[in-house]
Amino acid sequence: MTEKKFTIALAGNANVGKSVIFNQLTGLHQHIGNWPGKTIEKAEGTLHFKGYAIDVIDLPGIYSLSTFSIEELISREYIAAKRPDLVINIVDASVLERNLFFTLQLLELETPMIVAINQMDMAKKKGIAIDHKKLQELLGVPVIPTVAISGVGIYDLLEKSVEIIEGREKIKPVKAKYGKEIEERIEKIAGMVEKPQFKYPARWVAVKLLEEDEQVRKETREINPEIVSAAEKLAREVEKIHGHSCSTVITSERYEVASKIAQEIQEITLPTKPPMTERIHALTTHKIVGYPIMAVSVLSIFYSIFIFGDYTSGFLGDSLFGLKPAFEGMFGTEIVGKLVWGGVMEGIIGGATVALPYILPFYFILYFLEDSGYLSRIAFLMDNFMHKMGLHGKAFIPIMLGFGCNVPGCLGCRIMETTRERLLAAFVVTLVPCAATTVIILGLVGAFVSIQWALALYVINLLIIFFLGRLAFKALPGEPTALIMEMSDYRAPHLKTVVKQTWFRLMEFVKMAFPLIIVGSLVIKIVEILNLLEPIANILSPVTVTWLGLPAITGIALIFGVLRKELTLIMLATLLEPMNFAQAMTPVQMIVFTLVAMLYIPCIATIAALVKEFGWKRAYFITVFEILLALLLGGIAFRLLSIKCLATTVV
Amino acid sequence: MELHLTELRDGEKGIITSIKASHGRGHGGWRAGRGWGLKKRLEDMGLTPGTKIAVVKSAPFRGPLEVYVRGSRLAIGRGMAERILVEVNR
Repeated sequence: MTEKKFTIALAGNANVGKSVIFNQLTGLHQHIGNWPGKTIEKAEGTLHFKGYAIDVIDLPGIYSLSTFSIEELISREYIAAKRPDLVINIVDASVLERNLFFTLQLLELETPMIVAINQMDMAKKKGIAIDHKKLQELLGVPVIPTVAISGVGIYDLLEKSVEIIEGREKIKPVKAKYGKEIEERIEKIAGMVEKPQFKYPARWVAVKLLEEDEQVRKETREINPEIVSAAEKLAREVEKIHGHSCSTVITSERYEVASKIAQEIQEITLPTKPPMTERIHALTTHKIVGYPIMAVSVLSIFYSIFIFGDYTSGFLGDSLFGLKPAFEGMFGTEIVGKLVWGGVMEGIIGGATVALPYILPFYFILYFLEDSGYLSRIAFLMDNFMHKMGLHGKAFIPIMLGFGCNVPGCLGCRIMETTRERLLAAFVVTLVPCAATTVIILGLVGAFVSIQWALALYVINLLIIFFLGRLAFKALPGEPTALIMEMSDYRAPHLKTVVKQTWFRLMEFVKMAFPLIIVGSLVIKIVEILNLLEPIANILSPVTVTWLGLPAITGIALIFGVLRKELTLIMLATLLEPMNFAQAMTPVQMIVFTLVAMLYIPCIATIAALVKEFGWKRAYFITVFEILLALLLGGIAFRLLSIKCLATTVV
Repeated sequence: MELHLTELRDGEKGIITSIKASHGRGHGGWRAGRGWGLKKRLEDMGLTPGTKIAVVKSAPFRGPLEVYVRGSRLAIGRGMAERILVEVNR
């Protein structure tokens, strides 16, 4: 029996429990990818219900269907052009007004729709009672109350979906009525638009033209430029009447409608004492208390991940390296054996000892914090500080992650709204000294020069980050960064959703990064087998020896460091044998070497993450830039320190 | 009287009169003014003229403002909040 198919798109504001509903619907049959050509995540899944195979698409969480962000553009293109069979609009029961504003816009797209009023339990706690039947009457589409976290209403949603698909339930969506001045003008424009060339409904095009939506204007201009100029004229008339731009007037009036509906269907009885979540909010955003709370939670998270990562990484590495004899038995110790073990397997081990011990817990905590609502409070507290380097509060999170490992840091930049902010934050993240870099700093400079110098290097690194962040912020074109963020009520995260999100993102990373890591380690192994390491070290010697004043052999260590940063130190130790660092290098050399190793390149896993998020070109650009930067600073440091050494003869 | 949102005291309420785009919109649509996208964003989040707004508090060191609008809590960066004009009864 072949199953009939249909597609459902989930749409709604951020923080309404959309991903929980998505997970409740699709279970393990999910696929996380990107929207074509965009760095926006696309989550798809399938489920089987009453003889149907239902594809579910989780659209990004947005507040409007204008073109402020790529997410909004993607969502409306998808709904208008791809025409899913049904849209489920998920609405937060406790913030009805703003959620209904979005619902009204979806209705204007004239797509078959169901409204799910979610988080009914939280609304109840806040003393909000909702008459969902009344809402159904007012909107003209089915309305289903849900509590996604406990699965309430999910079955009803599916049942209703099938009813609509089978045509058993007819829907007559109500259209939002604007004021007289606007309605007249919408009609005029819609009259001109009524042609089959438009993929959008005529009324919607008319509204968007009056709102001076750039995308719709462009598309309309290609069909008939007269419509655009007529609309422009009409929009200016409205501006004259109201004293605000036409787009502001339309947004205002749409909100009026949403507000009226909300007032009609909800009854609010304020609870006598503020709920627990309110008190936690007040504490965690408190002028004084908020910061220590943040510091303690961030540090303890950080510390526990570090301990966990260190232990698991070592354990994983040891057990995987234990396989070496078995591999050598299978493939021999000749060229094939060397390639299989030293190239492929060591690559896999390298990837696995980063991905599982560090990325997995980082992701888990990131989603956990995001889901609970604490992330937005941290952003609130840190906004001013992050502004100093041209970012806003939300960027604090990925940067903090970067101190553990740059990879989750780069991937965590997704929480920023625009591509520009993401790129800026990721750039800063790649400069953050990760755990492996810390090992180099402490293991070389800290152990053999002095702990003060190790700390100084750390501080220098932070200063560089600060300075370059500002510079990149000035250099990159685009909208300035500003924090406009909802701080939705604290809630208990849905553990299953968090686990699934973590798991699917980890898999996505593994698929992207492992091939690159394996190829990288194969290439280096081949170079080693062909005995090209020495010649390459010699070719690099103008840079390493003449410019940086380092032993030629460090060139090889730095090449290996691309695979994993701590390899720079391990390789160096191996290459220098039987001498130890103190015998082979002067303190100045150690400091210069560490400075270069700290900055010179994001490791290959980080490059993979950059490629994944921003494409080859930008990843390449960042990598080359950082190599040049490290060399420049290393050379300068060498000269400065040499002068100082001549003067004092001791470091 | 009309004030910038940032001039309100903690806990004070007002009614939004307008939001200034940083460089004016000018000709050539929304790309002409750098702040226009952000203005649109604020309006889409419910900060339209005539809306009641309450400042709950602001983060220290000239940090963002916590405001209450249309039944939800928002954080707005100080630079952005400066462009929001509010009518207040004092």
